[in-house]
Amino acid sequence: MAVRFGTADWAAALKQEINGSSEYRNAADKWGVGFNGNLLFVFEADEEAPQDRSLMLRLSGGSCQDAEFVDANSHPDAGFVLRGPARLWREILQRKTMAATAILTGKLKVEGERMQLLKHTAANRALIHCTASVETGWD
Amino acid sequence: MDRLYRPLEEKLNGVVLTPDQLTSDHQTNFGRLHHWMPRFVVQPKTHQDVVETVRFAREHGLFLSTRGAAHSQSELGINRDGILLDMKSMDKVLALDQQAQTVDVEAGVVWRNLVHYLKKYSLVPRVLTNNLGVTVGGTVAMAGIGVASFKYGSQGDNVLEMDVVTGAGETVTCGPDGPEEELFWSVVAGLGQVAIATRLRLQLRRFKPMTRTYYLLYDDIHPFLSDSEKIMDDSRWDHIESWSSPCPQGLKPVDGHRQPFAKWFFPYHLTVEYEEGSPPDDVAMLAGLTPYDNLYTDDLPTIDFFERMIPVFELWKKAGTWEFIHPWMECVLPWNIAADCINQILVDLSPGILIGGHILLWPAKGPSSRSRLFMRPEGENLVGFGILPAIPPKYWDQVRPILENASRLCVAMGAKRYLSGYIDFTQEEWETHYGDKWDWFAGCKNKWDPDGLLNPGFVPLRVPPGAARKG
Repeated sequence: MAVRFGTADWAAALKQEINGSSEYRNAADKWGVGFNGNLLFVFEADEEAPQDRSLMLRLSGGSCQDAEFVDANSHPDAGFVLRGPARLWREILQRKTMAATAILTGKLKVEGERMQLLKHTAANRALIHCTASVETGWD
Repeated sequence: MDRLYRPLEEKLNGVVLTPDQLTSDHQTNFGRLHHWMPRFVVQPKTHQDVVETVRFAREHGLFLSTRGAAHSQSELGINRDGILLDMKSMDKVLALDQQAQTVDVEAGVVWRNLVHYLKKYSLVPRVLTNNLGVTVGGTVAMAGIGVASFKYGSQGDNVLEMDVVTGAGETVTCGPDGPEEELFWSVVAGLGQVAIATRLRLQLRRFKPMTRTYYLLYDDIHPFLSDSEKIMDDSRWDHIESWSSPCPQGLKPVDGHRQPFAKWFFPYHLTVEYEEGSPPDDVAMLAGLTPYDNLYTDDLPTIDFFERMIPVFELWKKAGTWEFIHPWMECVLPWNIAADCINQILVDLSPGILIGGHILLWPAKGPSSRSRLFMRPEGENLVGFGILPAIPPKYWDQVRPILENASRLCVAMGAKRYLSGYIDFTQEEWETHYGDKWDWFAGCKNKWDPDGLLNPGFVPLRVPPGAARKG
């Protein structure tokens, strides 16, 4: 059953998806090890979403310790921020746009040590796949 | 008959072909991604034929593209509605100077033929590409990389002098130093944008008659790179060549689809030349290296070593993959991020993509090249990395984003693309690729090819208003 995007239930579903994914567990076994791997996804308001939304993911060693929507579009615990318009995120989550392409072409803005993110491209691709795998109901 | 056929044909000693006389080969290149029909194919016989063809193209507002063996994969070596100058017809070895170890050749000479011409003198061009079926003019226009590039740079670095015809139809003799050095260095790795080389003087070297090649294998890229530093820093080796080879492990999910995955190994072929009867000391040669395995040691006549890839290409041709799409993604990576970048790409790369192709690695020395337009990252040590697949056309849409993202990842991590492959840069990406050389390159284009005639459709250098029109 579809879970409404932006809710605590959606964040919980994503955490479950990540922790149940052998793809993510293998691809991300070094993510967040020796550096802060927490990610903040910022879904910026646009014509498809009236307000900013941010999703905080606490990640290390191939698992997700916590996933929650937060009010601010920055977070002191985030090692990286991926920021983009809600429409683009929706395309990514609906698999119409590859996240890697969005990051590498600069459509998704990266805050944090970009090279570290690039060195773990496979981990982040697997994470986006998990995110896109949550059966999502849109507003 | 085309109204321009007779006026063009009358000016030339060479041959002029019209579309009804062309094979499909003239409409595409090794990439087989683009299929363009030229209005004329000119097969020049002489330097003056090239001069006359350029002047004719200027006079009639026709774009002019140059073609050697057409091993490029993007919009090079092909032409739409203009003149395709097929330089393979200028294939003479002009003069050998054994004392100076130089040879003068026409631009359409195929490297393999030159190797055979020179072998009786025990001389060889310092750098040979793996594929010897390409032309001297063609690879110099790209840079030209081979298994001895770690010592001698690109093939373009080993050109001592050239006669060129500029886009304005003027003949200039130029060299790497001296008054026309700017023109020279805009022709080397210049993608045929400013001038067409017709005669090149190449630096040669003496070779020993036999080679011994050690087939080493690494199971991890880090010791491979560590040993590469040692190998490049001492003078033991004459040729170094490496790949990444998959050992399929089964299926794993990638983006939710189960696809084949592999453990990637790194074969390393290290070759030394030696005199007949005086083979190298194997223990001394391999001292200090730490391969996972030492698989095989092969002795070959050096000429056979130069031609070692021919049986591989013959296999590809027999298997039919030579006729597939070849959207090769080659780049030069900074040393410090090479391992991470290559590992990130290989971990999700299905080995199935490589049927009829391979992953190429070539450790290199940045300072070994003086070329201004063979763009490479800064640093003493560099790593060339190439994904060289042969793709059945029906799978192109599926494979394309994988290769494009591999390219973007490499570039984002500091790599420079090698431009003979599949390139789909935006204007901004082109300018980023050339960096502070962009304006210089564009200036050379405007200076020597003022009408923007030469090799349009690939690198989008700015040209002034009044540039040549099609047709």
